[in-house]
Amino acid sequence: MPKVLCSVATRGRYFTTLPLVLNAIINQTTPPDKVVIFDDNDEPQDMRKEMIYQYFFQMLDIKKIAWEWLFAGKKGQHHIHQMANTMGYDWVWRCDDDAIPEPNVLGNLLGYTSLENIGAVGGSILTPPNLFDTNKSTGKIKDIDSEPNIQWNYIKKTKEVEHLHCSFLYRAGVHDYNLGLSRVAHREETLFTYGLYQKGYKILTVPHAITWHMKNPEGGIRSETKREMYEHDEQIFRNIVGHSDRTIVVLNCGLGDHIVFNSILGSIPNPMVFGCYPEVIPCRSIAEAQALFGDLDQWNIYKKMCQWNWKGSLADAFRKLYL
Amino acid sequence: MIIIHPYAKALINGNRNPKNYPYWKELIELIDEPIVQVGVEGEEQLVPDFRKNLSISELKKLIAQCRTWIAVDSFFQHLAWESGKQGIVLWSVSDPLIFGHPENINLLKSRDYLAQNQFLWWDLTEYNADAFVKPEEVLKSL
Repeated sequence: MPKVLCSVATRGRYFTTLPLVLNAIINQTTPPDKVVIFDDNDEPQDMRKEMIYQYFFQMLDIKKIAWEWLFAGKKGQHHIHQMANTMGYDWVWRCDDDAIPEPNVLGNLLGYTSLENIGAVGGSILTPPNLFDTNKSTGKIKDIDSEPNIQWNYIKKTKEVEHLHCSFLYRAGVHDYNLGLSRVAHREETLFTYGLYQKGYKILTVPHAITWHMKNPEGGIRSETKREMYEHDEQIFRNIVGHSDRTIVVLNCGLGDHIVFNSILGSIPNPMVFGCYPEVIPCRSIAEAQALFGDLDQWNIYKKMCQWNWKGSLADAFRKLYL
Repeated sequence: MIIIHPYAKALINGNRNPKNYPYWKELIELIDEPIVQVGVEGEEQLVPDFRKNLSISELKKLIAQCRTWIAVDSFFQHLAWESGKQGIVLWSVSDPLIFGHPENINLLKSRDYLAQNQFLWWDLTEYNADAFVKPEEVLKSL
């Protein structure tokens, strides 16, 4: 059986929607193997003193669901999700702290993971009193500005899309969150799921998996008001989507690595190379890549080889990353 | 003519790079052929003909002229490999199966000396002269 981690990133919602979310997770018909609550509050509290939380922790113990309460780094929820992404589980079910899943959600989402090449699966995310007309929604990234998200209404049949919103189940450890986003992490889940799609994984929206989004203007992991942060993140999003027909190559590494990479450059479709040694490979600067795409770690070949516990050649590692 | 590239990139913390071969002087004494050393300013000169700070294209021209070359695990072994000239790489803590090329003669004393994590900065790895093959073994491969 694949191992499933449920991750909840929370801020400012100890006594509003977070208890509802935890209760809903504990009462899933198919429970996760572990629940991790990432507490990103400015002034975190010891919730073991609170009666309702004492009950939650006891219920988790009785149901033999492992759990952990971690104090996060106050850098934004993308950092939290990346931590969950790399905790060694097969799948991560990410639940927002104001999104309450019905009891069958995880079980139904998991049912799709046995299909070939699934990257992420999401159900309906309903925000009362709104039900958007999603009949013509395509779920394609090119239409993101002109259509309501398919998840914003009841989903009648399974559909392949290019991005997901809010809460969903995803294959862990195959794509990184963009850590170059600001603390508000605007568009972080869209970028993450679109990145999975770009790597060739299927992204599905599926019926019978409803999560109720009790949107609250107060609190929340994105409770920052600085407009510049949103603009910064939006620009990164636009740049990534705007270059979706190119294979972005970032060689933030040594001279020898550039020479080895040169041997596979010809087999990379429509490359756009950013690097340090233009005398070896014609390229744009690393600073430009950073400005365009935010975080460059997803292209860090040494970090990747370390993550993959790599034993093969450097050239094959480049092939795995870019082909 | 033989090219030698004796030193890997200097470490930021100033420590001796664990990939640097400790027996260059002894090896050079055993070689009965003209030797050209290539490298950068600040590195120790080991032979009379030391060409510093050559550009990539100048290095490629020189590689084309040499009979063969001897280098530590550095960019040079990749550049010579790309140029199609076979040579000898002297390994210690880095893994030739990852960073080497089978077209070269890769002299590794023992895999027991390889750093456990191959993907960290080499500043974190201690220097160990025992990890390298002796000059006589290099000469046999030349």
